[in-house]
Amino acid sequence: MKRAFTITLLIALALVLLNVMADLPPHGSAETPPYTHVGAYYLEHGPEETGSENVVTSVILNYRGFDTTGEVTVIVTALMAVIAVLTGTRDTSQEPDTAVTQIAPSVVVRFIVRVLAPFILVFAVYVILNGHITPGGGFQGGTMLGALIIALTLVLDERRSAKLIPQRSVRVIQVIAPLMFVAIGLFGLIAWGDYLFFPRSEELRPIVEIMLVLIEIGIGVGGAVVFARIFRLMAGRP
Amino acid sequence: MIEALWNNLDYAASVILFCIGLYAVITRNNLIKKFMGLNIMETAVFAFIVALGVVENGDAPIMGDGASAPFINPLPQALILTGIVVAVSTTALALSLVIRIWRQCGTIEADELREAE
Repeated sequence: MKRAFTITLLIALALVLLNVMADLPPHGSAETPPYTHVGAYYLEHGPEETGSENVVTSVILNYRGFDTTGEVTVIVTALMAVIAVLTGTRDTSQEPDTAVTQIAPSVVVRFIVRVLAPFILVFAVYVILNGHITPGGGFQGGTMLGALIIALTLVLDERRSAKLIPQRSVRVIQVIAPLMFVAIGLFGLIAWGDYLFFPRSEELRPIVEIMLVLIEIGIGVGGAVVFARIFRLMAGRP
Repeated sequence: MIEALWNNLDYAASVILFCIGLYAVITRNNLIKKFMGLNIMETAVFAFIVALGVVENGDAPIMGDGASAPFINPLPQALILTGIVVAVSTTALALSLVIRIWRQCGTIEADELREAE
């Protein structure tokens, strides 16, 4: 009864949504509103104005830099919330039996991860550093780096996997993405008088590219460490 | 309507995906499965918005040697990158809350938790 009611409700919702979808402009036409307003400007002027051949990167870091500042702050806030939820006051008396049986990963998994690790690392660094000229960027490369640390945490023993994240400097590294953004923003404020300002002249192009790459490195490293730490916290490790 | 939907098949597919996710959120009792459903809904919305920027025979919006117009709209992709990061953050927080609930109550089934109140 309940299930039938739910399905009826969902079909009604789907019909309403599909009706709206049928009224949208045809898929793939260049006359749709998202394409004719600000997107066309970005495509036309993005490469000259921002020093980034990848227009997606120029939108993220340059035109909408404030937006991305907030975004990297969201990741750090999520990490802080996870720390607060998982390592807060632990009342061990009421806890159910949390003794997780440790199953060692098979030889195949260990071998494959160890063989692939250097290649994944090189690719992640490549994606981070080339985000302004090829597909990719800080978030994409940072995810790969974080996934690499998580995969190695799964196959290595506790003593060695703890060393993957430098314990002493982790407090700084996990907030490096917002810090790097603020540093670049303040640099623009001091040099040109506007917070998060990227000059649009041809002569200053190399400086702008260095600023973009620095932000990408900050996002990549910071994001990777945040995701790896969230994983370790969920696994009950410090 | 059917013909218009056939032209907008990408949009229709994301509607179906959205409803599948909502179904999982409503009917599943396990909290982790509920959050999986929520992630499916998020994916549907992301797919829809990215599909809005697609242009017939469009090239990736990366200028440089060999790039030729028309280009795919970069704006939806940039916005969805933000959306994906926020979705990952909320999922991380939700899963850590699930871990905490399991530590406190010993179960993550919604109906058992309601009885335990």
